[in-house]
Amino acid sequence: MIIVGVGGQGVIMVSKVLATICQMQGHQVKQSEVHGMAKRGGGVFSHVRFGEKVWSPTIPKGGADVLLALEWAEAMRWINHLRPGKGIFISDTQHIMPPFACRSRQRNADAAYTRETPHEILEQIQDGYAMDATTMARDLGNERAANTMLLGVLSTALDFPAEDWRDVISRFVPPKTVDINIKAFDHGREWAELVHENPDHAAEQLRRPEIAPALLSEAGEHDGDFVQLDINVDWCKSCDICVKMCPERCLKLDDQLKAVLHKPELCTGCRICEWLCPDLAITVHRDPANVKASA
Amino acid sequence: MTDAKQQTPFDVLQYLRQELMPHFLCPGCGHGIALRALLWAVHELGIEKDNLAIVSGIGCAGRTGAYIDANTFHTTHGRPLAFATGLKLARPDLEVIVITGDGDCLAIGGNHLIHAARRNLDITCLMLNNEVYGMTGGQVSPTTSEDRYTTTTPLGNTEAVFDACKLAEGAGATFVGREVTVQTPTLKNLILGGIAHDGFAFIEVISDCTEIYGRKNDLGSSAEMILSQKSAMRPETFENNIIDRPFRPNALPTGVLAHDKTRPEYGAAYRASIKAQQTKK
Repeated sequence: MIIVGVGGQGVIMVSKVLATICQMQGHQVKQSEVHGMAKRGGGVFSHVRFGEKVWSPTIPKGGADVLLALEWAEAMRWINHLRPGKGIFISDTQHIMPPFACRSRQRNADAAYTRETPHEILEQIQDGYAMDATTMARDLGNERAANTMLLGVLSTALDFPAEDWRDVISRFVPPKTVDINIKAFDHGREWAELVHENPDHAAEQLRRPEIAPALLSEAGEHDGDFVQLDINVDWCKSCDICVKMCPERCLKLDDQLKAVLHKPELCTGCRICEWLCPDLAITVHRDPANVKASA
Repeated sequence: MTDAKQQTPFDVLQYLRQELMPHFLCPGCGHGIALRALLWAVHELGIEKDNLAIVSGIGCAGRTGAYIDANTFHTTHGRPLAFATGLKLARPDLEVIVITGDGDCLAIGGNHLIHAARRNLDITCLMLNNEVYGMTGGQVSPTTSEDRYTTTTPLGNTEAVFDACKLAEGAGATFVGREVTVQTPTLKNLILGGIAHDGFAFIEVISDCTEIYGRKNDLGSSAEMILSQKSAMRPETFENNIIDRPFRPNALPTGVLAHDKTRPEYGAAYRASIKAQQTKK
């Protein structure tokens, strides 16, 4: 079994639960984990192997019987470790956008996030579950319980008694959140059973509009998108500082060697050109009211 | 400093004598950026134009003060601090800010600087250090770095460099700071702290002279010059850090270098002593 996710989601907690429950059933367990920095391109994963006799703690590519992913892009990263045709795929469809996936600083800009949709993946996997566990857990009261919800889905695939699962989960989660985690676990089990009976149930759930990453939904609340640059050409002395210091490279010197904004759509209104203009020739307006006042 | 004032965004044009603009400074001169930072700090402190007195000396830096729409006083070479001392003693209600250059402040006016610092009168001294006498054609100044070429050092400068902040601190200035122009908001905050400080505040602004100094020494364009100045500095917060390697061995510290709130301000002490003398009679 491979458990993957982004830091803070509970990858280690989930693997601890799994390792303990496997031990309780009398299996030998080996677990190996790496907590890199998923948001910076590293990996956060945990390998759990169990059986009568386990030799190696890690799982080779194409050798995992279960892939449990707490984040969609991480699921896509690790999907090649799944045993072809046989492995069970369980993933949250939540998107956590890593900063390096943002191609430009423009709002609502195109990002280099994985393009695969849950539908495409599930079509290719025999035993796959993609659920919006984060939203479901939030509906239950705490979105951090998404990991136990996914455990609930996994528990239907493993032949261990549900009581043992609940017991182990309540041992490892923070004491205050035991109730919500047990609730989430049961919810995950119910959901998986519904899917077993009626495969369309999952599809229906996924037909809901794609959950917008938190980054983008909050962007609109920032102080307006209005940016206007006033460049006083009479004062400009063509020193080139604004052109060279603009982080978006949206200024240039025209044929008169005066600064002009030649790519207004790229301007983010960061005011660096205004601050660094030695001739005090550039004014950045972020408020439409001020433009009228000065005009 | 009222709330309403703080809410109005800073517009540098309000504080300029626009009929005199564009100013006389060469393209890419860092003094313009320092001027903006000063006016920004004045705006944030909510100082009325009528209560603001700018005293400036001779040189590129001294001329910069003339573009401010306030009470400005363009004095003789090296004497702005002497004039400002008299002005502040006569009119303690005014916010007196001195704009001076490295030659003005350290060479000709060096004596005035150390005594102004010693007295601890509530003046803010803004020294724009561009390492050269720009207005007269690029002669060597007390702050010209070693091995740099100027019109009077055609073989490279062999004189030792003046550390103005250490001088001011040693002479008794109670607020000493240094900043580069490329960090405009930080520079603004430093100037703001200097003006708000009750006592002598000395702020060295590392400015660039692209046209004369930069051209002679192959320092590149204005943008390259201000960025290299930034990389040659070492923020004060790293001063006592063991990991010193990212900075050059002779990197100058920036930020607030000294802040002594315990010494009494000279003007208040002087007026108190006069009052004590009058009541005795």
